[in-house]
Amino acid sequence: MTHLSFLLTPVSLVRLHEALTCLAKFNESVALEAEYDLLRLSVLNSTKTAYSAFVLEADSFFENYTFSPSSDISSASSSNRRPDRFCCQIYLKALLSVFKGRTSEKDKDTAVERCEVEIHEDAQQTECRLVIRMICGLGVIKSYKLTYEPMNVQHAIFDRSRTTNQWTIDPKFLREIADHFSPSAEQLDIHPEGDKAIFTSFTTKIAEGKEILKQPVHTSVAIDKKDFEDFLAEDNLHIAISIKDFKAAITHAETANALLTARYTRPCRPLQLAYEFEGVKTEFTLMTRGEASGDDNDAPNSSRSTARESLARQSQPTAQVNPNRPGGQAPENRRTDMPPPLAPAAAAPRSRPIRPLTGTPSASRETNDRNAENERPAVASMEFDSLFVPADDDRQWDVPNDEEEGEDMLGWDATADQETFNASLGAQLQDNESHTLRRDEPVEQQQDDMGIPPTQRMSQLHGLGLFD
Amino acid sequence: MRFKTQLTNIQTFTKLTASLTSLGKVCWLRLEDSIVRFTIIPDQGTQVWAQLPVDAIFEPNTYTLESNSGVINLEVPIGALHRALRSANGANSAQIRLTKKGSVPLLALTILSSSWTTGSNAIGISNDEEFEGLFPDEGDRRGTGPRERETVISQEVPVKVLHESAVEGLHEPTCRDPDVHIILPSLLQLKSISERFTKLATIDTKTPSTTTTTTTNPTQPPPSSAVPTTTAPGGSTASPKLELSANMHGSLKLGIASDSLRISSVWTNLVNPALDPAQLSQTEMQELPSERMRRLGEEGDGEEGWARVRIDGRDWGRVLSVGRLSPKVVACFINETALVLYVYLPGSWNGEDSCLTYYINSYST
Repeated sequence: MTHLSFLLTPVSLVRLHEALTCLAKFNESVALEAEYDLLRLSVLNSTKTAYSAFVLEADSFFENYTFSPSSDISSASSSNRRPDRFCCQIYLKALLSVFKGRTSEKDKDTAVERCEVEIHEDAQQTECRLVIRMICGLGVIKSYKLTYEPMNVQHAIFDRSRTTNQWTIDPKFLREIADHFSPSAEQLDIHPEGDKAIFTSFTTKIAEGKEILKQPVHTSVAIDKKDFEDFLAEDNLHIAISIKDFKAAITHAETANALLTARYTRPCRPLQLAYEFEGVKTEFTLMTRGEASGDDNDAPNSSRSTARESLARQSQPTAQVNPNRPGGQAPENRRTDMPPPLAPAAAAPRSRPIRPLTGTPSASRETNDRNAENERPAVASMEFDSLFVPADDDRQWDVPNDEEEGEDMLGWDATADQETFNASLGAQLQDNESHTLRRDEPVEQQQDDMGIPPTQRMSQLHGLGLFD
Repeated sequence: MRFKTQLTNIQTFTKLTASLTSLGKVCWLRLEDSIVRFTIIPDQGTQVWAQLPVDAIFEPNTYTLESNSGVINLEVPIGALHRALRSANGANSAQIRLTKKGSVPLLALTILSSSWTTGSNAIGISNDEEFEGLFPDEGDRRGTGPRERETVISQEVPVKVLHESAVEGLHEPTCRDPDVHIILPSLLQLKSISERFTKLATIDTKTPSTTTTTTTNPTQPPPSSAVPTTTAPGGSTASPKLELSANMHGSLKLGIASDSLRISSVWTNLVNPALDPAQLSQTEMQELPSERMRRLGEEGDGEEGWARVRIDGRDWGRVLSVGRLSPKVVACFINETALVLYVYLPGSWNGEDSCLTYYINSYST
């Protein structure tokens, strides 16, 4: 039986709420991983182009943190292969609604004094819940029980020791830059030029004729390298990331008041934005675009190396690198610890081999479609306004929008599309090995070499008589 | 074809584009040697023809315009231009020029702004120590004190260059002499009352209720006074139409009527500006419809001295967004036909030259 409980002070409650708000911008459910000394919240977006993680340290973030993993591995949920940790997945909207408004009622008599969170997981019980208890003033206790799903967490692996470009800056400056971008811009190109660092927003859509006027404005903002705490990046190296992810990161970094560090090597390799504050380590690993220079690891090389990587991983599937502990246990034989280029599915359609062994492909595709649909309202609900030039009195001249006023804020949806929820979890639940988010590609590569369908690991094929 | 200039009065330019944005998505921008014209002709609703002297928004010494015809006509996404201009808020200098990227013509806005940091830890990248270790210790903070930081922002707004033949068919509407001309009271007040009326009528038509009378109580600043009146229900409207009427004796009435309510506000002691006597002879003056209306109004409080128009509540709200420029607005009523607003911008430049003209059609009852 797994037992996890921790106690949050009002301050850390606010921090947790901010973190969840940030994570909610990436996907609809959050992965929660408990280890002896930390609690990790992470989200991988539906297109697998952005990964964000918050590591809350047991000692410094929580008032009290106890975790005892299930001692009986066999009876534990089958997905939990690592006995020393507990993983589950929680619907973010549900989790956020618990914390919503709790932060603003500080002055009330019934303000939250502390918050207890517990998970009791027992294989013998059919109903496992995450229990959140808000101990408020005047003896008020508010309890919430949330459902969760066991899952395998996918981490983006990012090897900080291999980064060749790095800069650190006060997120306030980045926010000022983002303020100038058009709300419809999609991508952000970053490149140093002389003693300036230039941030350019652009969009990949190409419009013709009359549509030209509907194209988003291209905005470029050049700031002095002196505005950075430190700046070390190859001159004229262009690297492009999604503006939405960038904004999500800097918005949170600004509320956390932490210096933000970006690390990357070259275009089409991941870029990581990271910062630390008050017992929290935050990182955003983002897909990048741009023209990869051909001098170092060029494409064929890297694909070969990923094949090798996947083989290496197969031989020792449990030796997973903890991305939050750089300089950790990166095995020697893994040449590319950083995942290969993350191209969005639409941008790089690969010939997908038929996967006869499980129902995964169709299920996951369905899920992706649904995720894509679900993602749209999420984008719309992003508070763009908050990122742009603050409203001044000039707004009073704007045309009133009667339609908007009538609509209430979306709260808890009682119709609970449990179906969608389950479906969206479905794909991940079918994976029964922990691995990196780039699982797809390495395995496919490997299939080219070895001729094995990609959905199962060789280790699982024993007993079929093929590989014994 | 060349167009390049520094901007002056960036605030005015930004507010002007904001007001125009509410009326339409695309604006016809006509650049001439001494004047700049912004025209919005939406499919439906109010047209606006704005004419400004070059020095109202552009720095005349840097204003460069080169074209075969001496004129450049552009189709500009006005909302995008407005957003781009907002980046120039508080800028040291801003320049706008017509350029091209590939085959797409652009209005490129280059903005230079500077601000002071609060004790930033600047380090020169030429510092050799930086390169000793690949990643310097983040804890090692060098540099001190506030310093000036400079930011260069460039905004590229895609535009279309219009050939003279594409715009020669566009003409400013012509109207007969107005029946009543009057200076409007505070636009902010007018806007909020109009919006309130529109909303009441909208709610009213949406939800059939048993309410027979509704009163509103708009605040009234001196010297003009608004008198809210409530009358028996009557009339019928599908979508909210405001009834705006005025006479030549300083009164303006704003009202709305639906199945279940009829509200109006009246302003008095407003100014009916005199027309320039130099341009008209005494007899011509006497024959103007407005003078006839003035005489009619003198005979009493009767309806005959009033000119009225019926306008769409929403559209009116969009028009009134020009109030952000704090202009002087002369409203010309052409009874049951149209309302023409002459919006004069405040400022040092010649008021005669910079005028936004709004043409609003009256709906029939």
